[in-house]
Amino acid sequence: MQRRTFIKSIGVAAAAAAAPAVSSAALTERSSLRYLRPPGSLAEDEFVSRCIRCGQCGEACPNRCISYFGLGNGMASLDTPYIIPRDKGCILCMKCGDVCPSGAIKPITRGLKPILEGVHMGHAVVDEHLCLSYQGKSCGVCYRACPLPDVAISVGMMEQPHVSDKCVGCGLCERACIQMPQAIRIIPAHA
Amino acid sequence: MSAKGKPFFLWRHLNKLRWLTLATVFSMLVLLPFLHVYQTYVAAHAYDLLAPQEKELYDTMETLTSPLVSDPAEDLDAIKGNTWSGNIFGLKLSDPLAAIGQMAAGRNLYTPFLLTALIPVLFSVLFGRFYCGWICPASFLYELNSNLAILLRRMGLHTGHRHLDKRFKYLVLAAGLVFSMVTGSIAVAAIYPPAVVGRELYYAIALGGFGAGSVFFVATLLFDLLVAQRGFCRYLCPGGALYSLLGRYRLLRIQRIVGNCNDCAKCNAVCEFGLDPLRDGFGQECNNCTACIAVCPTDALTFEIKLKDVGYQGPGHLGKRYQREHQATQGTEKAA
Repeated sequence: MQRRTFIKSIGVAAAAAAAPAVSSAALTERSSLRYLRPPGSLAEDEFVSRCIRCGQCGEACPNRCISYFGLGNGMASLDTPYIIPRDKGCILCMKCGDVCPSGAIKPITRGLKPILEGVHMGHAVVDEHLCLSYQGKSCGVCYRACPLPDVAISVGMMEQPHVSDKCVGCGLCERACIQMPQAIRIIPAHA
Repeated sequence: MSAKGKPFFLWRHLNKLRWLTLATVFSMLVLLPFLHVYQTYVAAHAYDLLAPQEKELYDTMETLTSPLVSDPAEDLDAIKGNTWSGNIFGLKLSDPLAAIGQMAAGRNLYTPFLLTALIPVLFSVLFGRFYCGWICPASFLYELNSNLAILLRRMGLHTGHRHLDKRFKYLVLAAGLVFSMVTGSIAVAAIYPPAVVGRELYYAIALGGFGAGSVFFVATLLFDLLVAQRGFCRYLCPGGALYSLLGRYRLLRIQRIVGNCNDCAKCNAVCEFGLDPLRDGFGQECNNCTACIAVCPTDALTFEIKLKDVGYQGPGHLGKRYQREHQATQGTEKAA
């Protein structure tokens, strides 16, 4: 093959690769799975473009709550980390941000103020029809599971949980909820 | 003997060292996920609650690491990651392809990450495609795979020996980067074997099962076996393409000492990348694996510091062809 024909074929291939731009919506289409990104992650689109899929966040996680997508959530998020709060919440140890080389997960110091400023995984929402405390049976499990008690969740009469704006969405309350299905769940920040 | 003399005697043992390095890197990739699981057990402070197999893992890892670290949950964080991107005693290193891929996917420059690829880039500029031959965990499996191909051939089975255009991998690199740019997601990470191997080993050991990438990797193994020997590295690997480009004007390259060469062509037979050391055809594809140096019976191959290959120097001086031609010219000189 001559160099010129080779360069031509590169052009053809580039055109062929650009064609999916039209159908890239299909590639980035996401499943209905409710998942969280690790604490300190950038906004979803930026996160997906920054993450290099090295798997170090999972390797650093002492709680083993970080899993990785297969092809189930669209090609674009293949091998990116996610957390299912009902399976395992994030304990906000902030090790994944330290270890992330690509800047997809920002490094955040483990302290109340930096966590409140930098972590936006989601926000907890209470279903009052399911919550035991709202049904007259004092429970308070979500409050006791919360790593930021009285900051993110406060309890009222009969230990009825009230989620404040400061909730970072770590998912420990959803993990701890004794109701099935859970009465408190995290709405992911990217949803 | 030629004026250049013999190559430094250690060069012909480098191939053994290379196998040792490859095996070490690969076994580290196997060991690290186990250590991670062990760390999580330590962090949970619940040895008595572990299942018997988990206790076995705990005990094995404890015996392995207790002489080296005092607090496993913290100290074992010193070495993490894989060859795609890792952390060794606080030094973060990344594959140049990861840096370029992220640049393409994000369409911007993120300097702290680009800096982690600086040392690998420098090494590639000096030593060429050495990563492929000396570190790449996928290369380790591919070389074992090509040994399997030799075994299959001895058993009389047919294995692939097609020759494709080696420039095709540059096309794969370009297409992969364009695709990353279009989708805003680093697509090259999914088709780059060392990244896939590192990731899949971690998934299999620590997360309890192989992921989608393992299908891709098995396909590349079959491609090497059935279509072309070491075909993926030679014709398709986007990382190989990038390293080849970086190492085009590498400083250290294997060269032939024409005075010692006897044209036996063992070097060409042993070259995994199908290069042509016999006719000084190294080029940017050479991964400095030194297999040709190790196999050469007359010490005719050595490392030299040069920016470009010398080009074909003619038949080896110890070979029959050279001597026939040489005697002929001497004869004519005498006759004259």
